Amino acid sequence: MSDAGNKSGTLLLVGVNHTTAPIEVRERLAISTARLADATRTLAHQPGIREAMILSTCNRVEFLIDQEGLPEGPNDLILPRFVHEYFAVAPSTLEPHLYEFREREAIRHLFRVASSLDSMVVGEPQILGQVKQSWNVAREVGAVKSTLDPLLQRAFSVAKRVRSETQIGSSSVSIASVAVDLARKIFGSLTGKTVLIVGAGKMSDLAARHLIQQGARTLLVSNRTEERAEKVAAALRTPAITTGVIPFAQLHAEAHRADIIITSTGAGQIFTKIQAREILYRRRNRPMFFIDIAVPRDVDPDVNNVEGCFVYDIDDLQQVAAQNQASRSKEAEAAESIVSLEVERYQQRRSAGPAVEAIKQLQLSAEALRQQELARTATRLAGEPLSEAQQAAVDALTKSLTAKLLHPQLAALREISVTTSSDSE
Amino acid sequence: MSLLWLRVAVLLYGIAALAVLPAALYNRHRWRHLAVPVALAGAFFHFVSITETFYAAHRALPVDTHETLSLLGLLLAVAFLLLAARYKTMAFGIFLLPVTVLLTLVPAFHAGRETVAYPFAGPVWIFLHVTLLLAAYAALLISLLASVLYFVQERNLKSKHASSGRDSTMKLPPLETIDQIALKSLLLGLPCMTAGLLIGSVVALETVGPAFFADPKVLLSLAMWMAYMLMIFIRQHSGLRGRRAVYLSSFAFLFVLTVWAANQFSAVHRFKAP
Repeated sequence: MSDAGNKSGTLLLVGVNHTTAPIEVRERLAISTARLADATRTLAHQPGIREAMILSTCNRVEFLIDQEGLPEGPNDLILPRFVHEYFAVAPSTLEPHLYEFREREAIRHLFRVASSLDSMVVGEPQILGQVKQSWNVAREVGAVKSTLDPLLQRAFSVAKRVRSETQIGSSSVSIASVAVDLARKIFGSLTGKTVLIVGAGKMSDLAARHLIQQGARTLLVSNRTEERAEKVAAALRTPAITTGVIPFAQLHAEAHRADIIITSTGAGQIFTKIQAREILYRRRNRPMFFIDIAVPRDVDPDVNNVEGCFVYDIDDLQQVAAQNQASRSKEAEAAESIVSLEVERYQQRRSAGPAVEAIKQLQLSAEALRQQELARTATRLAGEPLSEAQQAAVDALTKSLTAKLLHPQLAALREISVTTSSDSE
Repeated sequence: MSLLWLRVAVLLYGIAALAVLPAALYNRHRWRHLAVPVALAGAFFHFVSITETFYAAHRALPVDTHETLSLLGLLLAVAFLLLAARYKTMAFGIFLLPVTVLLTLVPAFHAGRETVAYPFAGPVWIFLHVTLLLAAYAALLISLLASVLYFVQERNLKSKHASSGRDSTMKLPPLETIDQIALKSLLLGLPCMTAGLLIGSVVALETVGPAFFADPKVLLSLAMWMAYMLMIFIRQHSGLRGRRAVYLSSFAFLFVLTVWAANQFSAVHRFKAP
């Protein structure tokens, strides 16, 4: 790894993602968690590279580096070369799918990725954790230092700001998670709730698993074929989950035990309005949620008009998911504005960095010199020491002189810092 | 000085009542961070004002309607803060904070003139009688609001529109939580009302004698207690929720308002006549 003595480097980000590369290409570049440290270390030790980080998820593989020299310089091909060599992939295979961002655009891309604006499902929360994991690995192997470390920490703050100031991740966009969200709006915590699956299908199984993840602890299964019901119950049984089978003939008599009923038989209206009223009466009017994913529907739509019964069929769930998706897109616009603003701020701070450092150094040197001269004068006057008032007057005089002497240099440096910032815009 | 603190409290309640609107209706978190601390500061100044008034007058009793209203306002503000802390909901503030502003606005600018000639024998008991009954009224109001919010949330869920995201309608707690708030506030209000009425009856027996119980206002209060009991019984045993719960709570609340109004006309209850 090159020494970070030279301050002027170039940020470069190269990668592929779900929009630029098919899965066949992405899987050739994918790096497992176990190999990530080694890959990051290898990348960071390439000549011309000062700092590096690799982000590898199922939807993207990205390499972020701080390389020596100016953009478009002789080191320009370091990263593409490493990618070709490390993964043993022919350049012609990769080049059409690779994207490359430099400096400001690299910062913007990183902020967008961390904020989940570049994800396949915009607003999904996992990506931030994945970026943090990559950052941790890069820190452990000493691959991120004074340039990438603050940049990544800034990316996390931006992602947090996007989460807190927009509703980008607040709504569910899959059928199963929409069903869980609705259940939570009815019951609050799902801890201890009972779920009844009527019929056996992939979708109902998935929805039940989502509900269990959220705390539902009792699972009942009812199917025309009891063996099939037993099989489904066994598949979902864990030490923490109690499962049971209700014979199909006793479905209406036992349905009041369930808070949430997921139906997927497609056998016509299993639950009518009258039956729903009876079930609700047995439950002493405690609310009940019917998730009807069968076509044709298992639950009479009129059941939704019974006070305390909530019926969502597959179209309703899809409609809510679509509305949530649209809402996320709208929120993404607000999030993009936040990202743009943060990129500008970061870039300004980065550009002003050297000038600010020079100002600090100049002031420190001048103060050291002043203290040195004061000490020398005090030694010379050891026979006739100054009174406290005289010492204070000399101190004030030297401070004032130093400030006046430094003023033109400091003003020039401040101007340079401002000019650099505005040039970078 | 106490009036100044009360005016500061009214101002803060007013700000909180406005801030709670975007926080609850449009789920704006920043406004939530403004509404809660401002309401808390309002409640603090309100408490200081009431304490200072009582201390200056060498009594621990609200002696006129304005002071009683102000005390009820403080109880409602505290109820809002407790609900916000426990259930993370701003929705109750939409109703409770404006009511608090109204209840404190008049006492802050017009001192009450009429006074109640409380018997000197037991000021602490009278204070408990008044405070406990006010707490019961506040609990009933919260229960009514919770029933209304339950109804609104039920309608939202039945309408099947996406109810999350920035442009969504009012962010409400889950149905079961709202139901719990309604029931818990009733269950908390019941012992307050029972103890308040019992204390009042004992003090009245000692001061006025059995004639006190012939007063229609006093009889109405007992009927109110029975209505309260009946409402809890119906809710507990039939699991009454939604529209019908709103009707029942509204009926009980109207009953309470009637009793409150009767208080203004009852000479016996105000210890002006035997």
